[in-house]
Amino acid sequence: MLLKLAFRNIFRQRRRSALTALSIGGGYILCALSFSLIEGSYNNLIELFTLTKTGHVQIHQGNYLKRPKIHKAIDNYAAVGQKLDQLEEIKSYSFRVFAPALAYSDEGNHPAQVIGIDPDREQTTTLVKEKVTAGHYLTDQPDDDGYFQAMIGSGIAESLEIGLGDDLILISEGADGSIANDVFKVGAIVGDRNSVDKGNVYLPLNAAQTFLALEGRVHEVVLTLDSYKESESFAKRLQPGLSSLPVAPDLTISTWQQVEVDFYKSMQSDKQGNHVTLGIILFIVFIGVLNTVLMSVLERTREFGVLKAIGSRPGTILSLVAMETTLLATMSVIVSFVIALPVMYWMTHVGFALSEPIDVGGIAFSAFRGEMSVPVFGIPFLLLISFALLISIPPGIRAAKISPTQAMSSH
Amino acid sequence: MGLIQIPRIKVLLAVLIFATPPLQAANQADAIKIIDEMEAIYRGESSRADITMIVQTPQYQREMKMTSSAIGEEQSFIRILSPKKDRGIATLKLDEEMWNYFPKINKVIKVPPSMMMGSWMGSDFTNDDLVKQTTLTDEYDLTLNETDTEYTITLVPKAQTVTVWGKIEYVVNRMEMVPVAQNFYDDRGELIRTLAFSELKQFGNHRVPSRLEMIPLNKAGHKTIIIYDNLVFDPEDVDPSVFTLRNLKSRF
Repeated sequence: MLLKLAFRNIFRQRRRSALTALSIGGGYILCALSFSLIEGSYNNLIELFTLTKTGHVQIHQGNYLKRPKIHKAIDNYAAVGQKLDQLEEIKSYSFRVFAPALAYSDEGNHPAQVIGIDPDREQTTTLVKEKVTAGHYLTDQPDDDGYFQAMIGSGIAESLEIGLGDDLILISEGADGSIANDVFKVGAIVGDRNSVDKGNVYLPLNAAQTFLALEGRVHEVVLTLDSYKESESFAKRLQPGLSSLPVAPDLTISTWQQVEVDFYKSMQSDKQGNHVTLGIILFIVFIGVLNTVLMSVLERTREFGVLKAIGSRPGTILSLVAMETTLLATMSVIVSFVIALPVMYWMTHVGFALSEPIDVGGIAFSAFRGEMSVPVFGIPFLLLISFALLISIPPGIRAAKISPTQAMSSH
Repeated sequence: MGLIQIPRIKVLLAVLIFATPPLQAANQADAIKIIDEMEAIYRGESSRADITMIVQTPQYQREMKMTSSAIGEEQSFIRILSPKKDRGIATLKLDEEMWNYFPKINKVIKVPPSMMMGSWMGSDFTNDDLVKQTTLTDEYDLTLNETDTEYTITLVPKAQTVTVWGKIEYVVNRMEMVPVAQNFYDDRGELIRTLAFSELKQFGNHRVPSRLEMIPLNKAGHKTIIIYDNLVFDPEDVDPSVFTLRNLKSRF
């Protein structure tokens, strides 16, 4: 009965209902789209960041991550690899070595971060191959003269005034305390002058291991999963499996959040700031809805007076108002959902192009994109409907408390 | 009593005032002589040595073989013979300057004065230890203490000396006239590293300790051993042409 009455009330005053529906529906679209854009751009940024730099989960020897020392290396990394091969959720993994070095050319010297990567594994694990702006991606074979290739950041290329095919001299400290020194050929330039890679030198893993006297050892195992969101739960599951490996004791598993603490924290606080903005948008929508609901109740004072006079209980009137509002909200949200869907689809797959691409870990971040997911649609959905219900209560109480004589005397 | 004592004090004062400075000077002169003698013990007028260096750390142990040539204290030259990957790396010290040469990259790199206290090829010896750029007797004030068997000379840096050491103790075996130990203290008087000399061996007319052990006390588990496998004094092939940048870069 009450439901029928509520429906009838909604459709009796079409214009008023349409206005309320418009305010709720518009609010929903606004919320869902901004939520989608915020989530989407952060997800894209993090995905890009983890895929270009950190991977999703990393494995190190002891506290290498906190205090990197060249001799804190994983000795039996082949065994770790075998273990990782058994795990299906891992998309790909790769091995790396690191060392600070000094790069020389005839023109001068420049500090460099040497990163030894397994060329085949790394290109399926991270987007390193896409960072190449000139030349060819690494191979693990030396050229005919016995020189290994190196990929250098553009900062090094510029300050040493070297380009493709030129000699790159590297000097560093080997893991055995010796002075590591060797000549490499520049095979590729990575990133541009603003890129985080500008001071990096990528070497093939085997060449870097020989160079640093780290034969058979690596500093880092980096692995990627289906999504960066799985890294925490995966890391927890991986820990017991790795601890049981007798060949490689004292391994530490870190998620990308632990590897790039600063990045993660600034992301989080930025995201929080955006949630405040989202909250303000929601608040404005609620005020609008509250206004329409309140107006519609005031407009119907006489009507409620009649209802009271013919014997309706206050509770019934309250439920009627609440039900009307909730029904209206639900219907308008469903309609707006249908409208928002194609817009969001466009935002997710095309997005807003940035006039100037941002460099994220050496990869150009060129468009803000939205995200389509259940929370993006669902959270504003639930929020709006529950708030519609909530704000219908004060006008409802007002309607319920109305005295028939007074109400009917007002026109 | 008082009347008798005054002259005594006077005598004592006189002794203190007049006798002490000459005594101290003699003491200092003796100390300089001993240190100079000790510092030259592996060098002579000129010398050539075959040396094995063993670097021990908690993480690794490394053994290098090298030859070293020297004329006086101004010129010295070291070339690494093994391991294979370090073969040919050379160090030249000429007067106040020092260079390293790396054959793999065909590059001579000058060691800046600021790096003189830095490690030589990852060992616990500093560049300065290897090439003796600092002349102890010029840069330090010396005090000699002697027992029946040993001289202990305490070296304190002069005011204008730039050094990381607050004090060096130089212990010398009196009978053999060879160094026994050098103890290096920082400016708070804490012992930082010790260099011990042992295993006396006859090389030509000289009897010198053939084993040197450098132990840095602030780095647990670290130690560098130098063993003199052979030492020839006044060899014919050591002449000034050895100590040139040209020779540094030569293939051998």
